[in-house]
Amino acid sequence: MDDLKENNPHDSSLPGFLGVIDSTISRVESVLLAAGVLLMALNTVANVVGRFVFQYSLFFSEELNRILIILITFAGISYAARQGRHIRMSAIYDALPPPARKGFMVLIAGVTAVVMFALCYFSIGYITKVATSGRVLPSLQLPVYWIFLWVPVGFFMTGLQYTLTAVKNLTGKDIYLSTRVLEGYDKDELEV
Amino acid sequence: ADWKYAFEESLTEVQGVYATKFKEAVEANSDHTIQLFPYGTLGESADIMEQAQAGILQFVDQSPGFTGALIPEAQVFFVPYLLPTDQEHLARFYKESKAINEDFSELYAEQGLELLVMFPEGEVAMTTKEPVKSCADLNEVKFRVMTNPLLVESYKAFGATPTPLPWGEVYGGLQTNIIQGQENPTFFLYSTGIYEVTDHITYTGHNNFTTAVMANKDFYDSLSDADKKVIEDAAASAYDYIVEYQKGLAESELKKIKEAKPEMTVTVLSEEERACFKEAAAEVEAKFIEMTGESGKAILEQLKADLEATKG
Amino acid sequence: MALTIFLIMIVLLLLGFPMMIPLLVASFVGFLFMFGDIGKMDFMVQQIMAGIRPASLIAVPMFILAADIMTRGQSANRLIDMVMKFMGHVKGGLAVSTAAACTLFGAVSGSTQATVVAVGSPLRPRMLKAGYKDSFVLALIINASDIAFLIPPSIGMIIYGVISSTSISELFIAGIGPGLLLLVLFSAYSMVYAFINKVPTEPKASWAERGQAVRRAVWPLGFPVIIVGGIYGGIFSPTEAAAACVLYAVILEFIVFRSLNIPDIYRIAKSTGLITAVVFILIGAGAAFSWVISFAQVPQAILAAVGVADMGPKGVLAVISIAFFIGCMFVDPIVVILILVPIFAPVVKSVGLDPVLVGTIITLQVAIGSATPPFGCDIFTAIAIFKRPYIEVIRGIFPFTVMLLCVSVALIYFPQIALFLRDLAFR
Ligand code: NA
Ligand code: NA
Repeated sequence: MDDLKENNPHDSSLPGFLGVIDSTISRVESVLLAAGVLLMALNTVANVVGRFVFQYSLFFSEELNRILIILITFAGISYAARQGRHIRMSAIYDALPPPARKGFMVLIAGVTAVVMFALCYFSIGYITKVATSGRVLPSLQLPVYWIFLWVPVGFFMTGLQYTLTAVKNLTGKDIYLSTRVLEGYDKDELEV
Repeated sequence: ADWKYAFEESLTEVQGVYATKFKEAVEANSDHTIQLFPYGTLGESADIMEQAQAGILQFVDQSPGFTGALIPEAQVFFVPYLLPTDQEHLARFYKESKAINEDFSELYAEQGLELLVMFPEGEVAMTTKEPVKSCADLNEVKFRVMTNPLLVESYKAFGATPTPLPWGEVYGGLQTNIIQGQENPTFFLYSTGIYEVTDHITYTGHNNFTTAVMANKDFYDSLSDADKKVIEDAAASAYDYIVEYQKGLAESELKKIKEAKPEMTVTVLSEEERACFKEAAAEVEAKFIEMTGESGKAILEQLKADLEATKG
Repeated sequence: MALTIFLIMIVLLLLGFPMMIPLLVASFVGFLFMFGDIGKMDFMVQQIMAGIRPASLIAVPMFILAADIMTRGQSANRLIDMVMKFMGHVKGGLAVSTAAACTLFGAVSGSTQATVVAVGSPLRPRMLKAGYKDSFVLALIINASDIAFLIPPSIGMIIYGVISSTSISELFIAGIGPGLLLLVLFSAYSMVYAFINKVPTEPKASWAERGQAVRRAVWPLGFPVIIVGGIYGGIFSPTEAAAACVLYAVILEFIVFRSLNIPDIYRIAKSTGLITAVVFILIGAGAAFSWVISFAQVPQAILAAVGVADMGPKGVLAVISIAFFIGCMFVDPIVVILILVPIFAPVVKSVGLDPVLVGTIITLQVAIGSATPPFGCDIFTAIAIFKRPYIEVIRGIFPFTVMLLCVSVALIYFPQIALFLRDLAFR
């Protein structure tokens, strides 16, 4: 946990004002992640207590967890992109010489960014469909599309992270897994 | 053309049997083919509904209970003791009802769907760990219900502790006693193995499970009159088949349950024993009107009139 | 179409793209083939959402959170110390204990991913310290966790039972035999591995030391009580038991042991969220991919080409095993069951196979599939949790896959391994 203090996970590689925005977004994402997980635990425990102590199930418990899991997943994919934590099979890639690796990393980050932006666009389309259908959550009676609102944001932020990774690899002299992580696995497990 | 038809049950359950008959009729009377997608293969109920609305699927079977999130009035089918248990009366009712064939047709059309048919899947039975003779026996029983406000309201009114649980957790929940009861049509009790983890089946006559088959409206409207007729005829012949198929289905499935588990008790409540459930029904009806307003009230009245008109 | 998208997927995978990309791009291409334009691609998003929707998935982040709290605090160490005092002097004792702990925890929690996290995170550092190679440790954790599929309660068996109209109680009992057989095989392999690699043993502990270790572990022993007692005692569903463990872990580490503080829990929750997201986006992408495969009726086409209808019972069982094995390489096991079981049902019926046996074999294949490269939810979970490169996580898996395949073949030729207990109980 020590490297955490010297290496702030929210540091941005972007210059000036953009960097401020970037690191603010990183902070927001990490708060959403932590709060989402803790709320989920609280909600689930409360449901058990309600059922046993008060003979009363929280009708919205399942729906609330569904909202939280979407929030966690889509805040998390962008945060994971920032931290270079998405799972990949790097066997062949690792065997390549550094210049080829650099080229590949630009390609990988570029294609991934395009896919994420495309999914951002499609998710807006999907949300519009759900919104116009007027479907509501059976227990909470909230419009269903509300629970998806974070989805395009998550895809967009992830796409942005990969775009920046591609740019950083093109402009910097090292090879970057993400905007703030150099390639290679540390000997010690790194804290995020 | 090649059409796609998704439903909420497996191929051998009632919706699957209906879909198979529909497919056979369409393929026999036209050059079109139909591919069937049983439960889960393209997603859950809400997913296949959206796919049908978008025209990815041409046909979809979704029970009004699930449609309640889209069309609140569809929850009327959860008002207890609205529908009779007499299968022949029901068969006439679904075919001739103005509420279904005109009012609901319009509501579905607003959602981009052509309502082809509604049909019954059989009387809903309660299965529990302890015997149920009256509402008092449901006191403190954690009773699994679908996540549907009106159903929750019903079981609250019956005196139970309604516990919304996703279907995947019901078997395990009954086995580990997290819940002590659930409701479903008889054939479903057998096919899903729910009878293995409960000890008493009780018929209170409070509901008949209803389901609906729809086509994507744009797709349907674009068809030639000849094709529309093929579909209408197929829906009608499959309807006649499913009504016939279900005669004795509950009895035969119940027999299978008794063979697999002889100690299972089966109780049909008498009129007196049903009294408290019927009283509770009035509360639920009021709740339904509160939730759906004038339009819900109108449909409820029309349904009642239709039921009266189709009495034998 | 099927060939193109499989090729695209393999190529992108090998080139080192983040794993969601091969699945997503393959789905994109599938949509293009089927609908000719991008107009219907909104439904990829629908399916991603459907993939992460099942309520039972909530158990995964909850157990990750509880395990992380236990591991960073003292609970996990106290429990492991106790086990070591009893098993440390046996060759491979720690590995055997790990395998047994995975089986027990997995059996009860019903989630293989949760098992990888909850048992793997505290035990892996201990095994590394004891001198086991990481590739062996990771493979053992992943594969032993998958025994959970076979030992009740098993979500896979429940779903198989429901869609094939097979008695779930019978399935549950039939899974126990093969599950225990696997545990025995894994334990034997662990002991052989420890012997060949000269993993040192600890000196045998005295009964006084053992007594002291047990006393130190009294509080943490509440975890198995909550999980086993809570679930079988009808108090919790597995998901709720996970949340109860979180609560208990917080109480122990913050109040009883005073080993963690509030900023710690924030960091732990954040790290839990990150791991959850990395795994769940893959589950979502896998759901989108399997929708394409299902909609295009690819499995039906392949089976027709293979000519499964003309095979005898053993041939059908072999084809089923292979189909599920391959399916689970790429797609979430539950989805594979939902898609393939209805396709095979008529064939199974026509050759007169026992549906309980078929269900057991399918569940076993599903277990193998989730632990076998290239894709597998337990592999993903291990990578995300332990932060090791993909290649290192899968390096030691091969011997386990061989043992698992041996059990599958044994099941086809000696169905009594599964049916013995069932017949004893039900016939
Ligand atoms: Na299990
Ligand atoms: Na796999």
